Amino acid sequence: MNDLEPVQRPERYLACRECDGLQRLPQLAPGQRARCPRCGARLARNPVGGLDRLFALNVTALLLLVLANAFPFMMMEMQGRLQSTTLIGASAALYQAGMGELAVAVLIATVVGPALIVVSMLYVLTGLRFGWRAPLLRTVLTWISHLVPWSMLDVFMLGVLVAFVKLEGMAEVVIGPALYAFLALILVSAASLSAFEPRLLWEKLAREKL
Amino acid sequence: MQRARDFGMTSCHTCELLLRVPSHRHTHCPRCGAKVHVRKRNSIGATWAFLLAAMLMYLPANLLPVMTTVYLGSGQPDTIMSGVIYLFINGEWPLALIVFVASILIPLLKMIALTYLLISVQRRSSFQHRQRARLYRITELVGRWSMVDIFVVALLVALVQVGSIASVYPGAGARAFAAVVILTMLAVMSFDPRLIWDEKKETGDRNG
Ligand SMILES: [Zn+2]
Ligand SMILES: [Zn+2]
Repeated sequence: MNDLEPVQRPERYLACRECDGLQRLPQLAPGQRARCPRCGARLARNPVGGLDRLFALNVTALLLLVLANAFPFMMMEMQGRLQSTTLIGASAALYQAGMGELAVAVLIATVVGPALIVVSMLYVLTGLRFGWRAPLLRTVLTWISHLVPWSMLDVFMLGVLVAFVKLEGMAEVVIGPALYAFLALILVSAASLSAFEPRLLWEKLAREKL
Repeated sequence: MQRARDFGMTSCHTCELLLRVPSHRHTHCPRCGAKVHVRKRNSIGATWAFLLAAMLMYLPANLLPVMTTVYLGSGQPDTIMSGVIYLFINGEWPLALIVFVASILIPLLKMIALTYLLISVQRRSSFQHRQRARLYRITELVGRWSMVDIFVVALLVALVQVGSIASVYPGAGARAFAAVVILTMLAVMSFDPRLIWDEKKETGDRNG
């Protein structure tokens, strides 16, 4: 590596976000990913299908999100009384029991977080795909990465499993239709996140002067 | 391998554009507009603050009941551990193991790992860089799974409301437990893993 080249041609280089190791931007075929040779962190990836696939995944996720929230996903029958809950219902129950701050945390992790991610992705992708100079495009793209760790649908799913087993002992428990939408949503969200490479979106944003 | 810092450069944390940044100062990324520092600002101090707060909450999180089940008039408080034991004695040991790992082991190991990373970075240790980098990555990856017990409480509270027969109420332990999970997640986010690789010989301020 020439000592001046990274300074003169910074667009050809990349610093690892976990160890600051300076290296040439790897040329990746679609579907390939590169790891940092020094620390092993993920350095870059080139998702298959590009923006179109990411867009399609998020449209699907939006539909599944509506379905998962519209119907109860778990029902319980005890002494002839039927009790069911939706995603929002789980937070609402905590709120009614006087645990407002806990209700907010659960609401962010299960409803607000996942919804904001999908809506923000669609907003940014619409801007990028159709060359639409959407207001706050940069802000929205920045906050997607910050939201990701707080969206916990997969963890919630494990919670559903544990709750199911605990309730089985004392009542008749039935899985509601929303649970299937919910499972599909987890898979689609995972696919969407692995197709989301912010660096490529920022490059496109700069290239098209949006 | 040389660091970007050795060239007076840094990757923008938001969009990864390689930029010239004077050390000890910051610049604004021309591509995304983010404020870019050579290292996360006050990373060590902020990580310690979140970590110590999490340690403080760890005791009430495990000692106080996370929920109380009232069944035919008599209340049964449950802590995180008694929930694990319940699953275990009912023969659901794979699930008991998962909940034990997610709720008890992960928060504890996470706090130990962060303490170790912080101390090693403050001493500018050059010991096992790659292993410490991996430790940080695992800590970042598994942390959110500890929330599982909070979700179980939320679900039971929502479903078990059969008036005088059976009702479940959330307990103060749930609040403390959620605080531990959120505080350790914030601690991990505040920590700058690039500090692990900053060598002993340099004199620069690590907090950039
Ligand atoms: Zn690296
Ligand atoms: Zn930037």
